[in-house]
Amino acid sequence: MTVKVFENRKGFLFFTLLILAGPLVIKSNYIISVMILIAIYGVLSIGMEILMGQAGLFSLAHPTWFGLGAYISGILTVRNMFPPIVSILVAGIIVAIVAYIIGAPILRLKGFYLACATFAIIIIAQVAASQLTDLTGGPEGLVGVPALSVAGFKFKTDLQFYYLSWIFCLACYLFCSNLISSRMGRAIKSFHDSEVASGSVGINVPSYKLQVFVLTSAMASIVGGIFCFYLRFVVPESFGFLLLLELLMMTILGGLEDIRGALIGTISVLWLKEFLNNYLRKVFPSMSSGFDTIFFGILIIVVLIFMPRGLVGWMDRLRNLWEKQFHRTSGEI
Amino acid sequence: MTLVSQTLQYAISGLTSGSIYAIVGICWSIVFLISGVLNFATGEFVMLGGMLTWYFAKSGLGLGMAAGLAIMCTCLVAILLERLVISPIKHGTEMMFMLVTIASASVIRGLVLISCGTETRAIKPIFEAKSVNVMGATIMPQAIFVMGVLGVVMLGLYIFLNYTLFGKALRASSINRTGAELFGINVSRFRLFCFGLAGGMGALAGVIITPISFTGYNIGLVASLKGLVVSIVGGWGIGGTVLSGLALGLLEGFVAGFVSTGWGDALSLGLMVVFLIVRTFDFKEIQRRFLIDDR
Repeated sequence: MTVKVFENRKGFLFFTLLILAGPLVIKSNYIISVMILIAIYGVLSIGMEILMGQAGLFSLAHPTWFGLGAYISGILTVRNMFPPIVSILVAGIIVAIVAYIIGAPILRLKGFYLACATFAIIIIAQVAASQLTDLTGGPEGLVGVPALSVAGFKFKTDLQFYYLSWIFCLACYLFCSNLISSRMGRAIKSFHDSEVASGSVGINVPSYKLQVFVLTSAMASIVGGIFCFYLRFVVPESFGFLLLLELLMMTILGGLEDIRGALIGTISVLWLKEFLNNYLRKVFPSMSSGFDTIFFGILIIVVLIFMPRGLVGWMDRLRNLWEKQFHRTSGEI
Repeated sequence: MTLVSQTLQYAISGLTSGSIYAIVGICWSIVFLISGVLNFATGEFVMLGGMLTWYFAKSGLGLGMAAGLAIMCTCLVAILLERLVISPIKHGTEMMFMLVTIASASVIRGLVLISCGTETRAIKPIFEAKSVNVMGATIMPQAIFVMGVLGVVMLGLYIFLNYTLFGKALRASSINRTGAELFGINVSRFRLFCFGLAGGMGALAGVIITPISFTGYNIGLVASLKGLVVSIVGGWGIGGTVLSGLALGLLEGFVAGFVSTGWGDALSLGLMVVFLIVRTFDFKEIQRRFLIDDR
């Protein structure tokens, strides 16, 4: 098996430079705010991608870990228990523990039963977030979250959040792509294909499942903390069914087989959404709210029927054509 | 109100919503048993039934006529869903079908949101009669009607599945799809029929529950999940589904009455998660281990 990181190193470096140098060239606040959201959702879809695409675990509870991370770090800071950056990390640890406790029994479920159970967790978490009014502020949301500050340095502008979120996102990407080509990653991929076979060659399937579940949920929760300090408030609606639909859209459009697909999918879905919103607000002012879900629903259906490998599949096909054309033996993205 | 009448009141409202859960659960099981598709659009059928009835009644049709038309339209939607979305996927996994139906549910919801708006809608009861007083509890005639419809649906399905050739073939193909195909049963047509049947029954549930609990563009998701809970706990059979539906309805009625209304949805879904987890335990293994330890 080839090691993906080395194969894609140039592509990754190029992408990193592009992201880091981008704000020096483009000074539009609008573009930067969308790019922050892309980095935040990017971490989530990388997690979904590893769970669904690599490990074959159909866990839909990802929005819940994101929301829990946001709520816990927000609450810890609002109540003055920890400084912001510590509370993000504490929230990550708490969510990892919660994910371990929930994941240990729930990952025994197979196939669509796992999907149903995790789907139920999303709804339960939503109900809890709007019912525990004393703790979370109820349906109106948690307000009064202070600015994020690290050792006296305050994150105030969008640009600072841009670098924070993208550095975290790229670090997650690098970590996860290394993880996939490591021993653990090979084990994960093997039980995607057959749990019995990989168990019979000595892979501890339940333990690896739990590890990857806890890892991705901790990632989601930390990025949830960043999201909370970026928006300065948290509402239950941001972690519900709609977020799940968007995440599914991102991972499926990008392609489930490759971790690059997660980032590509996130970038394309969020820009498509912005484009739709801006365009529709001008043309049909009345119907912008329902149109989003219709469009993304149809897009998921079309992508699943006609291009199950997603955008990455297309990219690879194009690259193969290119290589054939110019007789190159190996290529970069 | 005394405790007895209160209990009776909650039991009746619980049984009413339980009947609806049971019907929606049957819709899930029928589709799942024949085609292996977990149809997350089932709740949208319920929503469509109520919303379309409201829409047709608003545009001047009589209530019975509007309800019939709404049920037919929902059947059509379900059939279109199967033809346009489910059947083009060849060699699909359960997960793919699940994603596709989640996506189509959100498409249906978005279309209804655009055309009918976000307000909750109500329709008049189909039979107007005075409510009955039993031991201090008020029984709305619509509640009795809902339970009656559940009885009729169950009886109809029982006769259909056990005493007609078509129904027997349907049962055969749910037990063994390949075997049924070898005997010349056209399973793909059955799948279409099942989607239509589920659409019709879901819409019927929507029509009869709307006078009691109102409808809106967003009730579909919760209705779907309740149906899913019921059919998973009931073991995908009709009898089990009806029993667990009524039990869930009663439980929710009592919790909503005596504890709090907000936690009802979380309770039933939590029960489903616990049930699913308990299902995975191998009780014989545990028993054996403990017995050996004792000796």
